[in-house]
Amino acid sequence: MQLRPLLLAVLLVLAVSAVSANAANVVWSGLVIAENVPQPAPIPPELIKLEQTLKDLFGYNQFEVIGQSDKTLKTGQEDWLANSKYFALHVDARGENDAGYTLSLKLYKENDVLLETDANLSKSSPLVIKGPQVGSGQLLLVLVVKDDEAVHRRRHAEPANPITAGWYRLRRIIHNLTP
Amino acid sequence: MKTFEEKWTAWLDGQLSGKELTEFEASLPDLAAAEAEKRDALRLGAFLKEQLAAQALSNEDFFSHQLQERIARDTQDRPRSTSTWWTIPRLVWSGATALALFVITTVVLMSQHPAGEQSEYLTQILNSRVDPAANPNATIYIFESKNSNKVTVLWTEGLQTLPADYAAK
Repeated sequence: MQLRPLLLAVLLVLAVSAVSANAANVVWSGLVIAENVPQPAPIPPELIKLEQTLKDLFGYNQFEVIGQSDKTLKTGQEDWLANSKYFALHVDARGENDAGYTLSLKLYKENDVLLETDANLSKSSPLVIKGPQVGSGQLLLVLVVKDDEAVHRRRHAEPANPITAGWYRLRRIIHNLTP
Repeated sequence: MKTFEEKWTAWLDGQLSGKELTEFEASLPDLAAAEAEKRDALRLGAFLKEQLAAQALSNEDFFSHQLQERIARDTQDRPRSTSTWWTIPRLVWSGATALALFVITTVVLMSQHPAGEQSEYLTQILNSRVDPAANPNATIYIFESKNSNKVTVLWTEGLQTLPADYAAK
């Protein structure tokens, strides 16, 4: 009989953990114009982590966001649009998996589809798409899965649970083994 | 008034005496044959007594015997368990082996890389397409950045260049 409250407490903790683990993620999608200018503006906060990578890859010194969207994914089935005056990036999420989200992307120039792609966007691996040359610059599409703020803060405050990490690793191995 | 059969039975049992015995024996047509029959009956009675006494079961024994027979019948009727592999020692060994495998797997998985490290998953491009009519010379490359950001890059070449106006917000 004394085990019953303990069992209930454990179940509650597990339920809370499961809810926390599946907390909504935010996908940031941006239309970025990269170009070389004499006095580059500071890089937008969403791109700070990628600044050096973008500079190394494309050789530009300024990255300006001309359109963006912060979409909170709860079901993994949402769709949204990040648009500028002439371009629009339509993102259609087709579900969540261990790694992140399966997305269908379409880049529109006004009404024309310039580029279509399907991707598994990983939570730990941003996606950068090199678009057309625009004037002296380059259009880039950037997609990043941002952690939910609460989760982000907790992850910084506490080390990851080794059991949970092991469990996810086991799932991943089994997932990779199955055809 | 006794019938002949009653007097005959009493005579066989030796229960007639005195005048009654004399009158009965005088009424028999063949006394010698009757005497022989009496001896046979007495012998048969003695034999039966002896046999019945040897084989008779007490109430307790009879009950116990019946019970055993019933148990035996029930046991025969009951379908026997077909699997004899899961004996207790085998169960214990199987459990211990499974537990050991679980512990080994867990240790191996947890020691693959330190907890808290980022997932090794990279973004994967499943397919991509550029409108061939508008961009006939377009080509697409996919690669990952070499640094720690693990950026997946979809690199297009040959897309139509657009005027600077298109950079407007």
